[in-house]
Amino acid sequence: MNAEVVLFYAFAVLALLSAGMVIASRSPINSALSLVATFFFLAGTYVLLLAHTIAVLQVLVYAGAIMVLFLFVIMLLNLTETEGERAKVTFGRVAGALAAVSLFALLALVVMGVKGAPTAMATAELARFGTLAALGQTLYTEWLLPFEAVSLLLLVAIVGAVVVAKARI
Amino acid sequence: MVPTSNYLLLAAALFCMGMLGVLVRRNALVVFMCVELMLNASNLTFLAFARHRGDMTGHISAFFVIAVAAAEAAIGLAIVIAVFRSRGTLNVDDIRTMRH
Amino acid sequence: MRVPSIPAADFLPLVPAIILLVGACVLLMTEVFLRSPSRGYQAPLSLFFTGLAGAVSLSSAFEPARPVFQGFAAQDPFSSAVTLVVCVALGLAVLTSSGFLRSRNAERGEFYALMLFAASGMSLLAMSTELITLFINIEVLSVGTYALTSYLRRGTRPAEAGFKYFILGAFSSAILLYGAALLYGATGSTKLSEMAVVLPAALAAQPALVYAGALLVAGGFAFKVAAVPFHMWTPDVYEGAPTPVTALMSAGVKAAAFAAMIRVFLVLGKGMDPSVPLALFSGLAYLTMIVGNLLALPQRNVKRMLAYSSIGHAGYLLVGVAALFVTAEAPAGDGFRFFGATPLLAPGLSEVAARADALKGLLFYLLAYTVTTVGSFGVLAALERSEDEPKGTAWDLDRFAGLAQRRPGWAFAMAVFMLSLGGVPPTVGFMGKLLIFRSAVDTGLVGLAVVGVLTSAAAIYYYLRVVVAMYMRPAPEDERIPVTLSWGTELALALSALAVVVLGILPGTVTDWLQQASTLWLGQ
Repeated sequence: MNAEVVLFYAFAVLALLSAGMVIASRSPINSALSLVATFFFLAGTYVLLLAHTIAVLQVLVYAGAIMVLFLFVIMLLNLTETEGERAKVTFGRVAGALAAVSLFALLALVVMGVKGAPTAMATAELARFGTLAALGQTLYTEWLLPFEAVSLLLLVAIVGAVVVAKARI
Repeated sequence: MVPTSNYLLLAAALFCMGMLGVLVRRNALVVFMCVELMLNASNLTFLAFARHRGDMTGHISAFFVIAVAAAEAAIGLAIVIAVFRSRGTLNVDDIRTMRH
Repeated sequence: MRVPSIPAADFLPLVPAIILLVGACVLLMTEVFLRSPSRGYQAPLSLFFTGLAGAVSLSSAFEPARPVFQGFAAQDPFSSAVTLVVCVALGLAVLTSSGFLRSRNAERGEFYALMLFAASGMSLLAMSTELITLFINIEVLSVGTYALTSYLRRGTRPAEAGFKYFILGAFSSAILLYGAALLYGATGSTKLSEMAVVLPAALAAQPALVYAGALLVAGGFAFKVAAVPFHMWTPDVYEGAPTPVTALMSAGVKAAAFAAMIRVFLVLGKGMDPSVPLALFSGLAYLTMIVGNLLALPQRNVKRMLAYSSIGHAGYLLVGVAALFVTAEAPAGDGFRFFGATPLLAPGLSEVAARADALKGLLFYLLAYTVTTVGSFGVLAALERSEDEPKGTAWDLDRFAGLAQRRPGWAFAMAVFMLSLGGVPPTVGFMGKLLIFRSAVDTGLVGLAVVGVLTSAAAIYYYLRVVVAMYMRPAPEDERIPVTLSWGTELALALSALAVVVLGILPGTVTDWLQQASTLWLGQ
């Protein structure tokens, strides 16, 4: 048992528990806070996978910016309790739940087939893997087109959000 | 060393939990949060495979997914506000009353 | 570290998308520097940029296919043809928008800007050859259409439709992304060109991973093109969105999503046992044709009827997609058997020729469906009165009663569109169906062709019901005709009716052109 194994199982169990809280808790605030917790634990597993930069972005952008937006909307709309969250048991719900569970069984079978431990890397390679420098270099050269497409996406999202949130048109 | 398949299993579990939430929850905001959970599961899959192969494409994919999630959050929450303004509820069952 | 250089010529294929983007920014700026409340110039301005983008994509339609941006996108006749279809859809939708928005006092630069943004996303999507780029471009067009769907603030419908569209769109994007992640795990790349190289080895090593990834990606696309059983969102969203936006969604979004799906699966299908995508798309096609048309039968709400009919038409397009995966020889080994026997090409037909035929049929059908459906939504947009929208009676069949006496031009145009949607000669809809079903028969997919013909025959019933209402039923006494006469709507209706008839009678030039483009793309 080394530190990586202990940390992985700790993060995994905590992430699953908090994800369960997201879908199980009755108040949207609790769901949102559980989601923040899930994001933090996932950032932990990202570090174990040597994805330092993505882990930092996960905390900054996801757990930080996006979740603040969620909480802000919850506060703005004053959603303290969900109105009668006693969900009606409908055919669609049962079918949906069954579909999700059976999809998990299938996916579990599929991913258990991935054999072997991660690639061993040389020290020099390891020192660069997952760093901001390595990410940035690839991003601004080879991945130019998707990068530009994302900037277009953010512009469209800003315009769209302003249009939709306007009170009157 | 933790085998890659354990990371992938965690991702698959999170993905299906998100899917379950989308299909059974009634609160519009919570449904949206479950979609975010699914996106994170995809990110974990990308990163696990990136580590497995020692290839950084997965990291870049995850980076873009985070950016896309931010854009989706902006437009999605704007729509949620518009729905709340016009109906006064975020209950999906009430929202699905559009019938001819 | 090697820094790859990107030649300036790589930016040329992006020009149509960039023109649309510049147009969108110009329209946003017109709102900032607005001096007078009159916004009549905005529609012609959008039209100008749309026409320019369409002309540029037409001019590059016969350039040989080449990868650009190191395999992240491709310049080829296929992407040019799809961009052209998108521009046609956008142009007609913009024309109908101007009158529609003005009568609701809602004409704004943002509306046109979002339409142009969404169209530039569609154009980029048609040329993406890398899964993450593809995912981002799907999001560009989706985010634009989410916002357009809930653009109007009239009653509760637009916001609800926007919300429903948003949640199911985000859900399907997440499914597609997870599939892409699994495919990345199996092949080590997200570029289609690199995946094609390593796919045979990956299939030998981890078949389950590849198939699971491909199925999830297909599921995500099935949501986007509204194939049964992933169609539940379509009627509500199409009904709730402003009618010109519905027109753009049913034509442009569908064309771009089909293009991306075809591109991805042509690559994946090459590596894997081709009977798997064949079985997948045939199954989806059967379900979509039958369920879509059956659900349309009882609809009295014409807008909802058109929504279900668009599901049915996605089914006919899926027949064409299935025909792309039929091989000349039965795959070796105990591959997937399809209903007992593996369909094979007609003797004397090469695989490339069969695929080019199927692709020609698909592209022609997309064009045919675009001019027809945008036209019919244009008539709806012209007829509906804003005060009826919250009650949901704005699109009732009764609103069409006696239209032939009140507005003979509109009634004639609507009759032409309905006949074309039903596939009655001599309209373009008939030619499209003919091409698709012929390539299905040539590839041995006789079952699909038979079901296609039968469901089209059943569909004529609900299309003709509209024609009967317009020509045989008297107009209600108290009926007020909408007073807002708009040159845009009239022009859009005239142009699309003309296109439906002319392309139906003389499809030769366009089909030759598409044949040439398809062969050029596939034949290498």
